Amino acid sequence: MGQVLRGQQGAAMAAFVAIVAAYPLIFSNAYLIGVGIAAGAMAAGTVGFVLLIGYAHQLALGQAAFCIVGGYVSALATTRWGWDPLVALIAGALLAMLLAYAIGKPILKLRGFILAMASLALQLLLIAVLQEQEYTGKALGIPGVPKFGVFGIRLDSDLAFYYVTWAFVLAAIVVGLNINASRVGRALKAIASSEMAASSVGIDVTRHKVQMFVISAGMASISGSLTVHYLRVMGPHIFDFAYSLNIVTAVIAGGLMSIWGGALGASIFIAIREIVRNAGIPYLESIVMGVLTCFVLIAFPRGFAGLVAGAARRLAGAPAASAAAGASPAPRVEAEAAPAAGALTLSGVSKSFGNLRAVSDVGFAAPAGAITALIGPNGAGKTTLFNLVCGFQPLDGGAVAFAGHDIGTLLPNEIAALGIGRTFQNLQLFGNLTVLENVMCGAHRHTAAGILEVSARLPSVGREEAATRARALDCLRFVGLEAAAGRYPSELPFGHQRLVEIARALALKPALLLMDEPASGLNDTETERLADLILAINRLGVTILLIEHDIRLVMGVADHVVVLHHGEKIAEGPPAEVRRDPQVVSAYLGQ
Amino acid sequence: MDFATFSQFALSGLTTGCIYALVALGFVLCMNVSGVINFAQGEYVMIGGVGAALLAAYGLPLPVAIAGAVAAGAILAVAQERLTLAPVRAAPLFIQVTITLGVAAILRMGAVVVGGRDPLTVPPLTGDGVEEILQAVVPTQTLWVWGMTALLLAASFWLLMRTDLGRAIRACSINLHAARLMGIEAERLTLVVFALSGGTAALAGAIVAPITQANWLAGLEFGLKGFIGAIFGNFRSPGLAVAGGLAIGVVESLAAGYVSSAYKDVVAYGALLIYLLLRGGVFVTGRAALAQSSH
Repeated sequence: MGQVLRGQQGAAMAAFVAIVAAYPLIFSNAYLIGVGIAAGAMAAGTVGFVLLIGYAHQLALGQAAFCIVGGYVSALATTRWGWDPLVALIAGALLAMLLAYAIGKPILKLRGFILAMASLALQLLLIAVLQEQEYTGKALGIPGVPKFGVFGIRLDSDLAFYYVTWAFVLAAIVVGLNINASRVGRALKAIASSEMAASSVGIDVTRHKVQMFVISAGMASISGSLTVHYLRVMGPHIFDFAYSLNIVTAVIAGGLMSIWGGALGASIFIAIREIVRNAGIPYLESIVMGVLTCFVLIAFPRGFAGLVAGAARRLAGAPAASAAAGASPAPRVEAEAAPAAGALTLSGVSKSFGNLRAVSDVGFAAPAGAITALIGPNGAGKTTLFNLVCGFQPLDGGAVAFAGHDIGTLLPNEIAALGIGRTFQNLQLFGNLTVLENVMCGAHRHTAAGILEVSARLPSVGREEAATRARALDCLRFVGLEAAAGRYPSELPFGHQRLVEIARALALKPALLLMDEPASGLNDTETERLADLILAINRLGVTILLIEHDIRLVMGVADHVVVLHHGEKIAEGPPAEVRRDPQVVSAYLGQ
Repeated sequence: MDFATFSQFALSGLTTGCIYALVALGFVLCMNVSGVINFAQGEYVMIGGVGAALLAAYGLPLPVAIAGAVAAGAILAVAQERLTLAPVRAAPLFIQVTITLGVAAILRMGAVVVGGRDPLTVPPLTGDGVEEILQAVVPTQTLWVWGMTALLLAASFWLLMRTDLGRAIRACSINLHAARLMGIEAERLTLVVFALSGGTAALAGAIVAPITQANWLAGLEFGLKGFIGAIFGNFRSPGLAVAGGLAIGVVESLAAGYVSSAYKDVVAYGALLIYLLLRGGVFVTGRAALAQSSH
C-alpha cells in the first residue's frame, strides 16, 4: 500500500515538474509567461491553504490577510529599506507566522467557524488601517517595487522569475507531502474524522490546528511577496475580501484533500480569470467567479484533484490487497507502566446538566492491575462519568486521581498522555484512515517527530514511522486483525470494528484502559471472545475500568463491581456480593 | 463633551445599527435552522435598496416599489436555498458556507449589471424634512427606519416566542438533529426562514436607502457588520445578535465622529478581533473550551 502510494506520488511529481518546465517553452510570449507567474504566485499560497482547510478543517475566510503582510513587507523592504527581495520575503513569512500564532493560539481552542471570523476580522482590519497610513502610501499603495532577486542577483528575465516562483511552489508541495505522509498528517486526518477520538489517543487537537494555521500563513505571505514582485506595486486593495474568496474557491476547485489540489486549483483559477478578462465584458469576471464557486462546490466537492485521482485509480485497477506483515513472532504487546501505577481514584465527583444531576458525589477506586466494572441501568450516568475521567467535560465538584496525579482539570490529550486509553460506546474510528493507520494513531504519544523534522522528512522520522508501524501491527495481531491492516474500518464487520478500537487503545500502551460498553452490538460468540481478550489485556498488567450492560460478561471478568443508579453509587464490591444486593436488584428490575 | 454632537453621532449610528441588527437576526435564524452561515444575508439589504430604486424609477408608486423589492429579496433568498444549498445538504458545512459567499458575489454583480455602478436614490416615504430629537437633527426618514425596525423585531420575536413555527425554529437552534427526529421538517422551516430573512433584509434596505442611497456595494458592508453582531450573539441568541448589531452601528458612528471617519471600520473589526481573542484566550479555558462552539 505504501509502495503504491509512493509510486503514485512519484508519478504526480514527475508530471508536475514536466508540465511546469515545459509550459514556458510552449507558451513563450511575455503575456502567457506572466500568467504562469501569477498562477505560481497564487499556488505558493494555496498549497498551505489545503493543509489548513482540507487537513485541519479550519476555514479561514481572511487568509489573504497574510498575503497582505507578505506583500507590504516585501514592498516596503525593497523600496524603502533597500533589503534583498529574498530576505524581505522570508522576513514577511516569519512575521505572518508570528501573527498567525498570536491569533491561532488562543482562538483555535474553540470549535466552529471561529477562525473564519477572526481571520476575516484581521484582514479587514489590516486593510482599514493600511489604507490610512501615510507611510504605506494610503489607498494608492507603494509603487516601484523592483523585480524579484535572489542573493543580490536581480531576475531581470520573466522566464527566470517564472522558474523561481514555481520552485517556491515545489518547495511548498514537498513540505505538504512530507506532512501528509507523517504522524502529523495522520493526526490531522484523525482530528478531521473525530476530534473526540483523536484527543483520546493523546493527539493535541489545538496544537495541530495552530501549526497548520501558522504554516499556511507563512506560505500565504510568500504568495503575497511573489505576487507583489510580479505586479511591481502593493496597495491595500490587491488582496481584498474577494481575493480571500478566490483562494478558497481555487483550493476547493483543485481538491481539498490533495496537496496537489492547491497548485492545480490556483492554475485553473488564474487560467479562467485570464480567459474571462480577455473576453472584455465588464464585471463578467466577478460573476463567472461567483458562478464557478457555486458550481464547483455543488458538483465536485472533492475538486479536480479528486477527479484525477479517481480516474487514475480506475486505470490502475483496484489497489492490491495490503501485504500482510509477513511471518512474525508472537505478539509483543506490553503495558508501559508498572502495575501499581494504574490505580484510578474518584472522590465526590459530581456533574449536572441544567437541573439534571447526571453524576452525584460518586467516589470509588479502580485498583491497579484489577478489572473493575461500572454497571447500572440506562441513564445511570456511566458514560458521563467516563467523559469526566477522560477530560471531555469539566467537573462540577470532586477529584479524579490517577497514578498520583490529580487529573480533574487536565485536557483529554494530556490525560491520554499519562497512559489512560479508552474505547467508545458509539464507535469512533477514523473513517478516513486505514485500520493500520487508525492503530498507528494510538501510538501518537510515543512518537516525537516535531513539525519541523516532519516537514523536512529527516531520516529519524522514517525510522520512527517504521517502529510505529511495527508496534501497530503487533497490536492488530493481538486482537487477531492483522489481515485487515490495509482496509478501511467501514469495510469491516461491526465486531471487528470494535476490536480495531481496542487495538488502537492498546497502541497507546495504557496503564489504565477505559472500555465503554465493548460488548454492545456483539453476538454471543463475539462476546465470549471479547471476555478472553479483556482478560488477556489485563494479564499484560493493564488496569481496566469497564462499563457494561452484559451482566454475564461482567460476572465473568470483573474483580470488582461498582453500581450507579440515577447518578449515585448504590453498591460496590465483589461481583457475587453485588449481585445479591437488594438495592441493585430493585434498580435493575424496577420497583 | 457637547451633548448635541454626541446625540447626532449616536442617533445616526442607531439608524445604521438598525439595519445591522436585522441582518444579524437573519444570520442567527438561518444558522439555527440550516446550520449554515449565510454570507449572502447582507446582499438582500442591497437588493432591497437597488430594487426599490429601480422600480420607483420606472414610475411605480413608492409603496408598490418597496413591496416589489421585498418580494425580490424573499424570492431570491428562496432560490438561493433551493438551488445552491438544498443540493449539498450532506456536504461538510464549510463547503455550504463557501457557496453562500459565491452567491453573494453573484448577487452583487447581478445588481451592477441590472442597476449600474452609480449609487441610486430612493425617495423618502414622507418628504425630505428633518426632525429634532434629543438636540440632534435627523431626516424624517430616520423615524421610518426606527419604526420599521421596531415593528420587524417585535414581529420576529412574537413569531419566535409565541407561535408553533417559532417554537420549531428555537428547537432547531437548541439541537437540530433532535428537532428533526421529533418530526420538525427542517427543510420546510429552512425555506420559510430564508424567505423571511431575505424579505426582512430587503425591506430594511428599501427603507434606509433614502438616507444612505442604494449602492451595489452596500451589501458587503451591511453583511459584515451584521455578521459581527451575530458573533456577539454567539450565533445562538437572536436578542444578543440584535443588541450586537445596534451597538456596532452606534460605536462605529461615534468613532467616526470623534476620531476620524477613516477609523470607523478599524473600530468595528478591531473590536471583533479583540473579542474573539479574549473569548478564546481568557474567558474560556481548559475543558470549558471543549464544550464551547462559536455557532
